[in-house]
Amino acid sequence: MSEEKIEYAKPLPDFRPETKPFWEGTKQHKLLLPKCKDTGKVFFYPRAISPFPGSVNMDFDWVESTGKGKVWTYSVHYMGPTKAYKGETYVVAMVELEDGVKMMSNIVDCDPESVTIGMEVEVVFEDATEEVTFAKFKPVQ
Amino acid sequence: MSAQIPNIEDTRELLKKNQIGIVGVGETEQGKIPGKSSFHFLSEASKLAIEDAGLNKSDVDGVITAFSLVEETFMHCTTFADYIGINPKYFESVAIGGATAVWMTAAAAMAINSGQAEVVLCVRGDNTLSGISSTGMIALIREMCHGEFEYPFGLTTPGGYALMAQRYLHESQGKREHLASVAVTMRQHAQMKENAMNKDDLTMDDIMGARLLASPLTKFDCSIISDGGAAFIVTTAAKAKELGLKRDPIYLHGMGQGFSHQYLTSCEDLDQIYGAIQKSGDKAFKTAGMSNQNVDITFLYDCFTITTLLELEGLGIVPRGQAGAAALEGRLHKDADIPLNTNGGLLSQAHLGAMHHVVEAVLQLRGEAGDRQVKDPNVALVHGNGGIVSAHSTILLGNEPLS
Repeated sequence: MSEEKIEYAKPLPDFRPETKPFWEGTKQHKLLLPKCKDTGKVFFYPRAISPFPGSVNMDFDWVESTGKGKVWTYSVHYMGPTKAYKGETYVVAMVELEDGVKMMSNIVDCDPESVTIGMEVEVVFEDATEEVTFAKFKPVQ
Repeated sequence: MSAQIPNIEDTRELLKKNQIGIVGVGETEQGKIPGKSSFHFLSEASKLAIEDAGLNKSDVDGVITAFSLVEETFMHCTTFADYIGINPKYFESVAIGGATAVWMTAAAAMAINSGQAEVVLCVRGDNTLSGISSTGMIALIREMCHGEFEYPFGLTTPGGYALMAQRYLHESQGKREHLASVAVTMRQHAQMKENAMNKDDLTMDDIMGARLLASPLTKFDCSIISDGGAAFIVTTAAKAKELGLKRDPIYLHGMGQGFSHQYLTSCEDLDQIYGAIQKSGDKAFKTAGMSNQNVDITFLYDCFTITTLLELEGLGIVPRGQAGAAALEGRLHKDADIPLNTNGGLLSQAHLGAMHHVVEAVLQLRGEAGDRQVKDPNVALVHGNGGIVSAHSTILLGNEPLS
């Protein structure tokens, strides 16, 4: 029997080069957020220029998130965007991190229909391919 | 005298002076219509609007189009100008998703106000239902999602609206019936519109009993996909008179835009969305010198049931958190106090952005809406929304010139 890993069939991120530190971080199971050196504030999604008012700073520190947050909103998806999701019920959620940013992710390791707004969650890492590890969230026990 | 920076008052004066309005509208058959290309629908809609106005094709000197989901092109407006045989003095492709149709009217007015053109054809058409490829459909499903930080989590476009709907219901202590009642009213309106795609009876029970696609939304909370085209022609009252046109213009009284976010990840809270809707509306109201109290008939972007509720509240037509209850009480029906989308909307008539909303607003203000006619409307509001309640545009139309 082959021991090859089953190929990951769901959509993978369309990388932009400027986000490399983020994905290097998740590979090491660290959730790193870009911090604007001009305003001292973290932001999400990662990009090449500070999104804060008045700032055109393009120089960032990458700081580790606590990985804890709350579900700001969620939707149980009974139908996914590609065939690879067939028969799957999964939760897409916007998680509000303690660090003050929102992230789109999945809530995993629970009954999808048990997720609620305000639920406390923490990051878990899912290695999808050799290149890609996703930061997902599970309910805090 | 020092130069002054142009402001809304200047726009108002220009609209007053030039008496800009819509003098012709056209709407092709809507539905599943195989065998016609995107450019066929654009042509057919243009022909209908030109004939409705009583124009000669050669009188058209401005062409504003949008984009096609089936036949992609970098230069959509000039591709169509070439196809239809118009050599325009002014050309523009407006590509701001569902905010497009509403903003075409404003773009035409700005072109006319700046002397770039006198008679502007605004047209959109597509064979979205019959012509789209499976890769095109996937592209459509993921279009509103960030390709790197959202889509890989299986977020879909309906899912994005579902996220907002869930948050809205949470904050307003609402229920799924509030969303569903919008779809029920839109279906009742579509049943009165000859040229509507979905006319089968639709009850609250049908929706509440349907399978969820992305909680809290069912397929009935989502707009339809259709083939078809629609067009309208914008000019000045003086030009209409000079050309001896058949129709009195339906006048543009105001216009505005408001932006919240592109990706939901960048959306701080519902306040940000309400703020963008309000900004768009306020600019239009200020240009027109009126408030939402002056609006007799409302057209909101109902690509999903949730957007209608957010827009009703953002525009201040219904107090915050109360639009769902208003919908459930039947207040959006054509005979009630907030007649909304009498054409059946994107939920039941057809989905071509808000093109049909603009066309129906003109028909209502002309008094030509048949069984759907609202009693003596003088002012219509049309609001478009691109992205997931991201980019907003509002216009106000009236059957009297701006004074």
